[in-house]
Parts: sequence; C-alpha cells; structure tokens
Amino acid sequence: MRVYFRYAFKETFSNLWRNRMMTIAAVLCVAVSLSLVGSALLLKQSAAQASVLWQQGTRVTVWMQPTASASEITSVRSQLTSSPIVKNCVFYTQAQDLAEAKKLLPVNEWSVLSVSTMPTSFRCTPTVPSDAFLVQNTYQPLPGVYQVTTPGSQIREMNKVIRVLQIVFLALAAVLLLSASVLILNTIRMAIFARRREVSVMKLVGATNWFIRIPYITEGFIQGLMGAIVAALAVTALHTWYPLHNEFQLNTSALIGTNAVVLIVGVVIGSVGSAIAIRRFLDV
Amino acid sequence: MIRFENVSKTYKNGTPALKDISLDIEKGEFVFLVGASGSGKTTFLRLLLREEHPDKGRILEAGRDIGDLPKWRVPYLRRNIGCVFQDFRLLPNKSVFENVAFALEVIGRPRSTVESQVPQILELVGLTDKSKNLPHELSGGEQQRVAVARAFVNRPLILLADEPTGNLDPSNSESIMALLERINRTGTTVVMATHDKALVDRMRRRVVELDRGEMIRDQVRGVYGIDEGVTI
Repeated sequence: MRVYFRYAFKETFSNLWRNRMMTIAAVLCVAVSLSLVGSALLLKQSAAQASVLWQQGTRVTVWMQPTASASEITSVRSQLTSSPIVKNCVFYTQAQDLAEAKKLLPVNEWSVLSVSTMPTSFRCTPTVPSDAFLVQNTYQPLPGVYQVTTPGSQIREMNKVIRVLQIVFLALAAVLLLSASVLILNTIRMAIFARRREVSVMKLVGATNWFIRIPYITEGFIQGLMGAIVAALAVTALHTWYPLHNEFQLNTSALIGTNAVVLIVGVVIGSVGSAIAIRRFLDV
Repeated sequence: MIRFENVSKTYKNGTPALKDISLDIEKGEFVFLVGASGSGKTTFLRLLLREEHPDKGRILEAGRDIGDLPKWRVPYLRRNIGCVFQDFRLLPNKSVFENVAFALEVIGRPRSTVESQVPQILELVGLTDKSKNLPHELSGGEQQRVAVARAFVNRPLILLADEPTGNLDPSNSESIMALLERINRTGTTVVMATHDKALVDRMRRRVVELDRGEMIRDQVRGVYGIDEGVTI
C-alpha cells in the first residue's frame, strides 16, 4: 500500500508538471467559471435576503383627506387597530407629515405646502407582508381616505430584474463550467494519450484499473481544486470589497457556504472529468 | 493448463479469425503456433489474455473458465500470464532495471521483493551489466531479452510469445529461443506464435498450425510445414 501511495503521488505530480501549460489552462478555466458560479450564488443570496428585508419593512400608508373630519379619522383608526391583517399603525398628524415632506422634497416643492393642505396618515405594517395589497383594498373605500399606497409594485419590479440577472449569471456560469470540464477532460486525455503505451504495458502485466486510474483522477482533482481555490478567493474579494447597499450585504456564513459549494463543484468536476477521460483507455 | 473447447471467433467486420478450435495444452508444454499472417495466431493469444472474447466455445486456464471471470478479475488472470511481443513493448523512458521492476511494482510487490527479484532475472537473461541503460541504448536482441525478463519476473504459469524473434537476426533469435526453453524447463507453459521455419524445424516441439482460422495440424514433434508449393 505504501509503495502504491508513493507511486501514485509521483505519477500525479510528474503528470501535472509534464502537461503544465494544459494544467494552467484548465485551472484558469475552472477558476473563471467557478468565480462566476460563486458570484451568481452570492448575488442570488443577496437578492433573496434583500427582498425578504424589503417585504418585512413593507409599509402600507393610509392617507386621509386633508379635509377629513375627526370622526372619520377615529373610525379609520379603530378599524385599523382592530383588524387582524394589520400588525400595528403609527399615526402621523398633518404637522408631522409636513415635516416629513420638508425632508423628502426639494424646497420649491414643499414651500407651497402648508399644514392645512397636508393629509394626516397612518403608517401601518401588515401582519403578513404579502397582505399589503389586501390592506390597500380594504381601506381604500372608507370615507375620508384619500389614498392607500404600498411600495409593493416597485419591489416586484426590482425582484423581476434581479431574477433575470440571476438567470443570466447562472447560464453563463453553466456554460463556462461545461467548458472547464471539457478542458480538464482534454488535459487528462492528452496526458493518457501520450502515455497509452505505458498504460497498455501496465494492463499487460496485470495492473488493475484502479491502479492505473487513481493517479489521473488525483491529477484532475488537483486541477479542479486549484481552480476552485482561485475562484473562492475571487468570491471572497468580491464579498469583501464590492460596495453593496446594506440590504444586500451578506454575513460571513453565507460566504463560507458559497465557497464550500465552489470548492466541492471544482473538485467534483476535476475528478469526474478525468475519470471519464480515462475510461476509454482502460477498455481492453 | 490451457484448454480450448470448440472456440470460434469472428471479428465485427465479418472476418472469421478462429473456427471451432479444440485443443489441450498440458502444464509445462512448449507449443509452437504456426501459420500464415491472418491465420488466427494472434487472435489465439489475445483470447488467452482475455483481450477478446470467443463467440462460441469455452477457454479454460488452470482449470478455470476464463469466460466466467468478472471484469475486475482479469488483471489477476494476466498476472499469471507473461507476454512477449515482436515489438518488445518496453517503456522508452525507463531503464532496463525499471522496466523489469515495473511489472512487479504494478502488481503491488514490496520494494524488497523488487530488489531481490530483478537482479536475479537480469542475470538469467544476461543483462546484469546493462541494468542502468535505457532501451534505445540496447540492440534488438537485448531489448527482447529485457521483455522476456519482464514477462517472467513474477513467475507466471504461462508465457505467451507473439513472434518474439520476428525482428531479430538469427543469432539473437537463437538466444531468445534458448531463454524461452530455459523458462519452459522451470515448468512454465510456453505458447509461441512464429513464422520462423528454421527455428521450429530444429526445436522439434509440438506444432499447432492454423490456416484461415482452422486448426489443420497438431503434431507432437512437428516441423514448420510441408514444403512450400504443396497444398494441403
């Protein structure tokens, strides 16, 4: 057994060295495609996290008519607080709404506003984020209500864009991954082709298939691993340095998970690619 | 040791290679396989190595039907069969010693065995002083002796030789034959396919002649063939 380990080790590294140009090409190809896969995964997680955060923060704003009477306001307020689909509500007076408008709008726009033209409003959180539209439809027709707004449609729009982006990224990554596997397969095939004589002699003197196969599989494994390590570094760099808005910023465990996926995929591609490449040469 | 029972083999392109061959070879026998090119000699040897499967019939080696052997057992079968070829099949980037040692390393023999067995076998084939040379530094005859050493180093039960003297001059052929005889005397069954008429005639061993896949002769103390020009 020990003899064999030494043999396999020696074979693997002499093969890697002998085909170093192909090795570099394969490693780079794996690195690039896995970087994309990793980035796509990160983006996907970011987007998922952001959309959850947005949904949790979904506010339904019930704007009252500026002219709404006190009784109308009280009635809406009591219906909001007793409704099971509304978690909680904050009441904004006309003065508070004006103050908010001053913060949000440019001077020339808010300067035409006055307390009496401002609506009072309820800032409500639905119990279930997806009920935002239900809340909207329920309170829209009540007397004294001017308008009920939710940011839902913008979120949906954003999610759609993100989903398309994810698909594009993943498709690109899949194509690159495929080309990386083919390249590894080819590298190993060339390595074996150059040594088919040796392989045939090995078979002749009674070497088992695994004896012949293992050094080549190890070679593919190492190529995949090296590519995956480079890709993991790239993904980590992206995570660390690329400025993302707070909602998108992922924690370290998500990064570690992504890198684990990248490493596993790299190693599997390398090993399986070379196992496929060698199969034909072992058939005698 | 070797038993063919009604063995037929036809290649995919339709050429019949062997037709209904039945044959017994005892342990320790020396058998010449003669016949024109394409008569089925090489197929005969390939069947013994299980590089090919017969279409019909059974082949037994050491009492076992090799057709029943699962695929993963084939390497173990080959460890009991040494092979020598016309083109030597040495590894060009390994020295004589390494080429012979390779046969032992591949089947997982420990280093101590390699170090005791290889010099012994190199002495048998008379190449002790060339053990560090690379194959291309040797003559054809010497290369073939390395190949014989490699085939015999793990003491197989059977030695197959496919025209081992085909590339050699008469004196080198002579020394290879002497070597094979010596190996045969240790109890190893030797099957040798050859075109070398003079050699077969002189050795007076069992001769099996194939013609277009059919066994047309099996003589205990045979010669290569009836004089040219006479059809059988």
